[in-house]
Amino acid sequence: MTTPVLVARRIAKVVALNDGAGEELVILAGIDLEINAGESVAVVGASGSGKTTLLGILAGLDTPSSGTVALDGHELTQLSEEQRARLRGELVGFVFQSFQLLGSLTALENVMLPGELRGDKDPRGDASALLLRVGLAERTAHYPRQLSGGEQQRVAIARAFASRPKVLFADEPTGNLDTVTGARIIDLLFELNAAYATTLVLVTHDTQLADRCDRVIELDAGRIVATRAVAE
Amino acid sequence: MTTMRFSLVLRFLMRDWRAGELRLLVSAVLLAVGTVTGISLFVDRLTSALLSESATYLAADRLVASTHSIPDEFSEAAARLGLETTRTMTFPSMVFAGDRNQLVSVKAVGDGYPLRGVLRIAATPFAPGVVIDELPPAGEVWLDSRLFPALGIVVGDIVTVGVAQLRVGRVLSGEPDRGGSFFDFGPRLLMRIVDVPRTEVVRPGSRISYRLLVAGSGEALDQLYRELESQLGADYRWMGIRDSSASIGSALERAQAFLLLGGMLAVLLAGVAVALAAQRYARRHYDHVAILKTLGVTPAEIQWGYLALLAVIGGVSTVIGLLLGGVLHLLIVAALSAYMPLDLPLPGYKPLLVGAVSGCVCLAAFGLPPVMGLKSISPMRVIRRDLADAGVSRWLTYGCAALGTLGLLLWYTSSWRLTVWSVAGVGGVSILFGALAHLLLRAGRRVGMQAGNGWRLALAGLARRRGDSVAQILIFGLAIMLLLIMILLRTALLDEWQAQMPAGAPNHFLMNVAPEQVKPLQEMVNGRVERMGELYPMTRGRVVAVNGVATKTWEATRREPDSGDPSLDSERNLSWTADLPANNTIEAGDWWSTNLSEPAVSLEESYAGTAGIKIGDMMEFDIGGLPVNARVASIRRVEWDSMAPNFFILFSPGALNDVPATYMTSFYLSLQQKAFLNELLAAFPTVTVIEVDQVMAQIQSIVSRVTQAVQLILGLVLVAGCLVLIASIQASGDERLREHALLRALGASRRLVRGALGAEFALLGLFAGGIAAFGAEATVFALNQQVFELSSRLHPWVWLAGPALGAAIVCGIGLWSTRALVASPPMLVLRELG
Repeated sequence: MTTPVLVARRIAKVVALNDGAGEELVILAGIDLEINAGESVAVVGASGSGKTTLLGILAGLDTPSSGTVALDGHELTQLSEEQRARLRGELVGFVFQSFQLLGSLTALENVMLPGELRGDKDPRGDASALLLRVGLAERTAHYPRQLSGGEQQRVAIARAFASRPKVLFADEPTGNLDTVTGARIIDLLFELNAAYATTLVLVTHDTQLADRCDRVIELDAGRIVATRAVAE
Repeated sequence: MTTMRFSLVLRFLMRDWRAGELRLLVSAVLLAVGTVTGISLFVDRLTSALLSESATYLAADRLVASTHSIPDEFSEAAARLGLETTRTMTFPSMVFAGDRNQLVSVKAVGDGYPLRGVLRIAATPFAPGVVIDELPPAGEVWLDSRLFPALGIVVGDIVTVGVAQLRVGRVLSGEPDRGGSFFDFGPRLLMRIVDVPRTEVVRPGSRISYRLLVAGSGEALDQLYRELESQLGADYRWMGIRDSSASIGSALERAQAFLLLGGMLAVLLAGVAVALAAQRYARRHYDHVAILKTLGVTPAEIQWGYLALLAVIGGVSTVIGLLLGGVLHLLIVAALSAYMPLDLPLPGYKPLLVGAVSGCVCLAAFGLPPVMGLKSISPMRVIRRDLADAGVSRWLTYGCAALGTLGLLLWYTSSWRLTVWSVAGVGGVSILFGALAHLLLRAGRRVGMQAGNGWRLALAGLARRRGDSVAQILIFGLAIMLLLIMILLRTALLDEWQAQMPAGAPNHFLMNVAPEQVKPLQEMVNGRVERMGELYPMTRGRVVAVNGVATKTWEATRREPDSGDPSLDSERNLSWTADLPANNTIEAGDWWSTNLSEPAVSLEESYAGTAGIKIGDMMEFDIGGLPVNARVASIRRVEWDSMAPNFFILFSPGALNDVPATYMTSFYLSLQQKAFLNELLAAFPTVTVIEVDQVMAQIQSIVSRVTQAVQLILGLVLVAGCLVLIASIQASGDERLREHALLRALGASRRLVRGALGAEFALLGLFAGGIAAFGAEATVFALNQQVFELSSRLHPWVWLAGPALGAAIVCGIGLWSTRALVASPPMLVLRELG
């Protein structure tokens, strides 16, 4: 497993400050990164270190000010938003800190969504199977507001794997959960990750969580200050 | 995945619907289509009913009137165009029964009369009438109730008209085209036109009004007019309902203008509701779109999907809205059937088209821009919620709305002038209201610092969301302003209509009083009638020359070619008096003193103006073959509305000493005193009574129906306005509710939260109402000046009612539409709104 699925070269993100003086804020400064298929990588750092921005750029949700990002051989910076969206649908899955379920859809419908968008034959069957796997077979007809935080995150994980992604991006997946629930969610995430042989890119400031990944990248003020492999 | 499949769009739509996301938008479109369709259907049916009912006042759709017999070519041309025709002749004549006689107004009618409206007969004199679908057969006459006691006859007796003996067949209690012409006053005798030659009363020089009645399709009538136009000349007058009675015509025109205005306001309000609902829908879908984008949905697919979604919403809502509009108008008709015993004709297809197009245009112009902005929502929003709402540019949103409104208004009114005025008015008012609302909020904030808990919270909230608050004050203000304008205009129109017929104004004219009857008649009526006017001598004559120039030549150079007024040499009523009549004022020259060196005349100002005659001009009259010369001494302004005898031409006393004259006067009789007329006519059988009250009753019945229609439209617009308020409160409600849920989570009591919400809505309403009062006064002032040509004054009650109404309505609706969410646990609210 040495093929890089994600390659970032000299990524920078600079935004103009709205103060009229033409000042700029550097969020990312020259990030170089390679992530191999099947690898799990944690990006850690203090608040404001730029880890969430990096995640957005690596996943093709945002574009860098300069530098290049290749996802599964596709050069994201050369693509239009239209093409990036299509690529996301094919290659990428997400789990967010704030769950990001659609409030107007039931748990089952939320999980069915990627399959429906892809035009799958039986999105309902696949989604039901995934919900069973995350332990929510009894809650399929419930709306997000009727579910606990942990349950919502499990639905979000089921939805993420319903996309059958090559790369799964997770942004502080336990940030809104208590320790016990968070631990269970992490177990579930890694279990599914292994089962589906997905590449995992995880942003967190939870060192315990980071330590369950293959590699930990530490960011500070928009630069990579340390990279370490985690012993099995 | 190239395009999002339609079935998927439908599935999303169903899920949105089930989750209640679409209710507001769909209700707004339903409101737009339903209101517009309902109003259009009702207006369409009412207008055609009013027009056809008004046509019954002519007994035809159009007619040709003349003092000369109407040529056969006219009726032949009408027949060729497939139009129905019939003829009538109206003339005064004496009718005899035994030793009694009475001056009557004879109406001789041809087959098919009346072409519009109905004849009514009564079983006995003065009994209520019933409709009859027959005409008197040849040799028979039908008489007004009053003629039976006056002539001392019963049904079946024989009366003599001219030299013909005719049988009295029935009691005539009503005819559609009663009143109007000078010849047409006095008790009626209805007979067949075929009997006229037998009477031998029609001779050269007889005063007869000939009419050719025409009825049929509007196109054929217009075509007939084009064919006859060149042959009509000065001798024949082409008349429709608008010409036959100025009061009925202007009442109809105002009613249509008013209904149109009502329809336009409803459309504008519905558009605002659609815009608010679409904005709320779009805002609630920002996250939705961001998530869809992370799942691989492209911007183009987002755009296509929402477009398809809107199209489905538009299509379904339009169909349901049309049905609702139909039901709405049926409800209106049913509710008003007791007050509006009009036989409403079936509507055309146009109201349905108007409703459907209005709904689609409203949705496209007001609803599309915010929803179309969704495609630019950044997917990064899933990570950073604070990312600015991309949305569409405000210019595009407002531009589309303005364009849509403009298009719809232009379509409804078919008038650039009305459209531009309306748009400019609303635009100007919005800018002005925005500025005023801004000022009020700033002032409120300052005052609020000293206020109690709830009020301080409310004012702080309003000031914090200043942009939203200004917009809401603007919308509420506009809605309340429209309501106030409606009420003010309704009052103004009613007042004016009533002013046209002042209470207690003389309602009877006495004419044809012989000089020797003047004294005994005065003695008899003294104390029996009210407001008895002066007795004016009256004769008829024509002007033959001015300053020695023959009238034809004189007019050729001075008269406007199409003035429509009778020409100078047509026969007119002439009178003389020593004193200036009560309702007259001198505009130029001097009223005569007692010792005049030569005969003098005083002319009414418009008559003098049209004829181009000035003070000092010498006029030559032909009065029954007698030449009379008189110099113009003064020009008078006459109050024609006074209902007293008024004259275009008044002579100085003694000028017409040698001319035979009869006298006329006016007085007031209430309905209960009406029987006195029989007594009067029995004593003075040759005197003619004109019952103006009957003509007035006809006009008043039209006016009252028009007023009811106007009130109804007012009600509908009010409902539309209230629904806009609900939409607006809901659209802005999320943020407000989140704050109050937070407050409650922090320990504020439900009572405090409810109080703060109530105070906030009340303040919004108060500000909006104050601005509305200002706007309504200004608009009504402008409308009165420019459109309705009425005088204007300030309405103090509006300045109290506006703010009070605003606070009450906004507070009531606001608390009502937020009641469920205030009652639900704060955690649920916070979770739902994220």
